[in-house]
Amino acid sequence: MIQHLLDGILTGSYLSLGAIGLTLVMHILRFANFSHAELLSLGAYAALVCDALVSGLAPFLAVKLAPLSLTGSLILAILVSMVLTGLSALLIDRLVFKRVREKGQELSMVFASFGMALIMRNVIGLIFGLSPELYSRDIAFATVLSRDPLILIKPDQVFVLGAALLLMFALHLVLSRTTFGYALRAVAENPSLAQVNGVNLQRTIMAVWLIGGGLAAVAGVFYGISHQLIPVMGRDLVLPIFAATIVGGIGSVYGAVLGGFIVGIAGNLALLILPSGYTPSVPFLMILAVLMIRPHGLFGEARA
Amino acid sequence: MSIIRVSRASIGLALGLSAVSGAAYAQDCTTKIGAVLPTSVDWGRPIAETAQFAVDQVNAAGGAAGCQIEMVLRDTQVDPKVGVDAAKALVDLEGVKVLLGAVSSGVSMPILTSVTVPSGVMQMSCCSSSTAFTGLSEEGKTNGLWYRTFATTGVQSAVGAKVAADKGYKSIAILYKNDDWGQDMARLIAADFAAVGVEVTASVAINDAQPNYRAEVTDALSGQPEALYLALYPAEGTAAVREWLSLGGTQNMILANSLKSDEFRDNVGLQYLGSALGTDTASPRSESADAFRAAYQERFEAEPNGPGLANSYDAAMLALLAMEAAGKDASGADVAAAMSRVTDPAGTPVSADTAGFVAAKEVLAGGGTVMFQGATGDVRFDENGDVSAPAVIWSFSESGTEEIEYIPLSDVDAFIASLK
Repeated sequence: MIQHLLDGILTGSYLSLGAIGLTLVMHILRFANFSHAELLSLGAYAALVCDALVSGLAPFLAVKLAPLSLTGSLILAILVSMVLTGLSALLIDRLVFKRVREKGQELSMVFASFGMALIMRNVIGLIFGLSPELYSRDIAFATVLSRDPLILIKPDQVFVLGAALLLMFALHLVLSRTTFGYALRAVAENPSLAQVNGVNLQRTIMAVWLIGGGLAAVAGVFYGISHQLIPVMGRDLVLPIFAATIVGGIGSVYGAVLGGFIVGIAGNLALLILPSGYTPSVPFLMILAVLMIRPHGLFGEARA
Repeated sequence: MSIIRVSRASIGLALGLSAVSGAAYAQDCTTKIGAVLPTSVDWGRPIAETAQFAVDQVNAAGGAAGCQIEMVLRDTQVDPKVGVDAAKALVDLEGVKVLLGAVSSGVSMPILTSVTVPSGVMQMSCCSSSTAFTGLSEEGKTNGLWYRTFATTGVQSAVGAKVAADKGYKSIAILYKNDDWGQDMARLIAADFAAVGVEVTASVAINDAQPNYRAEVTDALSGQPEALYLALYPAEGTAAVREWLSLGGTQNMILANSLKSDEFRDNVGLQYLGSALGTDTASPRSESADAFRAAYQERFEAEPNGPGLANSYDAAMLALLAMEAAGKDASGADVAAAMSRVTDPAGTPVSADTAGFVAAKEVLAGGGTVMFQGATGDVRFDENGDVSAPAVIWSFSESGTEEIEYIPLSDVDAFIASLK
C-alpha cells in the first residue's frame, strides 16, 4: 500500500510536467493538443542524442553521479533538449497549427494535432527504430527504505521528483510574480482585450509553446530515466497526461500538477482493487468521473 | 467379410514383396480426402505441398483402404469464414470423410464445431496450437473426431515447471501478456507449478502499451518469490524485467520462447540474465525426422524449414494410415477410432515413406497395430487428440542463445504424465 502510494507520487512527477504544458496550450490556444505527448518523446530522444554527443566530446562528464544513474552529460543534454523541444514546438506551431488556427475551427485543430502526433511518432520510429533505447544500460537498483513492510525507492526517482517540484516552483514564481505571467493569464482570459492593453499576442503564444515544449522535454527524459525510451511512448503517455489535465482543470497549472499526482497514484493503487488486466481503464474512469461530477476539473473555471 | 480381409492381406503381402520398386497397383477406385489450408499466403503453400507429398507416397504404395487417394485442396485465406465455406463444400459436395486443416486455431475451431463434428468427419490439423481444442474435447464436444500433430502450449508450460522443479525453486511469481496466448500460458503454468509443488505467489497480467509496469511488478514482488516466470513479448518484457531487477527482484527467471530475442537480451543486459533459463519446443532428433528431411530435400530441393512442414506431412500420413486401418468405405468416426491402431506404442514400428506404408498395410491387414515414426518423431495422441513435442532449455550467451538441455519426446511425455 505505502509502496504503491510512493510509486504513484514518483510516476505523478513526470505526468505533472507533461500536463502543465498541455494545460497551458489548451487554455491559451483553446484546443486539445493530442500531439503534446509526442513532444515528450521528441525531448527524450533529443536528450539521447545530445547525451551521446556530449559524452563523446567530454568523456569526463559521462561519469555517473552516484548514487544516481544520471551523468553530467545527461544533465547537460536535458538542458539542450529543453531548448530544442521548445523550438520544435514553436516550429510545428508555425508550420501547422498557426495556419489551421487562422483558417479552420477548433475541431480542425484537434484533427491537425492527431495528424501531427502520428507524423512525429513515425519519424522518431524511422530514425531510431522501434526497439527500446536506454540512457544507461546498467540497471539502477532500488534502495530498501524499510523491510517490513517492504518499501523500495530508486535514487533516480527521488531526483526526478525533486527536480520536477523545483521546476514547478520556478514556473509558479514566473506566473505569479512577473509581468510576463500576468500577460499570459490575460491572454488566456481574453485574447482581444489583452491585445488592446498592449500584450503582444504572438510573443505570448510563442512563450507558451517554448515553456510547454521545454517542460515536455524534461518529462520525457525523466520518463526515459525511470523506464525506457520507445518511439510509441507518446501514445502510451497521452491518455494519463490528458487525464491529469482534465482532472486538474484545463488552464490551471496547479491543477495540472495535482492532477498528475492523482492520476499517478490512482494508477498504482488501482491494482489493489482491480485485476491487473483492467488497469489501463483507470485514466478513462477518472476522466469520466471528473466530467460527471466536476466538469471543469478540480481547479478549472467555467468560461464563456 | 473374412474373404475380403484375406484378399486384402494377400495384396498387402504382394505389395510388401515389391515394396523396394515402389510399384503401384492399378486400382479402379479413388477416395477423396479434403484439405483446407491457407494456400494464398506464402508460408501456407509449402504446408499444402507437403501434405500432397505424403499423399503421393501413399498412392505409390497402392493407395489407402484399397483405393487411390485424391487430395482436394481448398484455400482458407486465413479467414474463418472462407475456411468454413471451403470445409463445407468439401464435406457436402465432395463427400470427404477426412479433412486436413486448418493452420490457424481461429480457423480450425469454427470448422470443427460447425462442419466436421456435425457431419461426423475426422479433422486433422497440422498446426493449430490453442488449448481451446483440448478444453472442447474434455467437454466431449469433438466426438473424438479431432486430432492435431502440433504440440499445444501445454508442452512449454510443463517444461517451465520442470525447470522450476529441477532448480529447486520453492515459490515463483508469474508475469504474463494479457492476450489469448499469455492468459492460456499463465493458466497452464500455474497448474503445472502447483503440480510440482512450487508455490505461485502472484500471477500478474501485463498489458502492452502502458507507460510503465511499476505497479504490476510491485504486486508480483510483494510475495517475495524465489523465482519469476515470464510469458511476455520482448517490448514489455524488457520494461517489466528491468523494473523487476531494479526493485531487487530475483535474477532467477524462467522465460517462455517469446523472449528468445537479442533485443530482450541486449536491453535487459546479459550480466543480469545469467540465472535466466528459457524453454521452447524443438524438432525431434530422431532417425525418422532426419529421414523426412532427406526425403523432403530430394523431392523439393529445399530444406523443410518453413513452419509446420513436418507436422503437415505427419498429419496427412496418419490420416491415410488410419483410413487404411479403418478399411474401405469407413465413416469419419471409424477412421478417427482407427487412429489408435496406427499410433500404438506397442505396435510394429513403420517408417514415414512408401515402404513404411506398405509395411503398415501388411500389419494392419493381419489385425495388428503399428507405431508410426514420422517427421515429428513417434507420434502419440492423448485422449484429446493432442500430441506432445520434444523440448529444449536454453539460456542467453554472448552470441545469442545456447542450448542447455534437450529433452526428448519420451521424457517430455513422462514428465507431463507425472504432472497429472
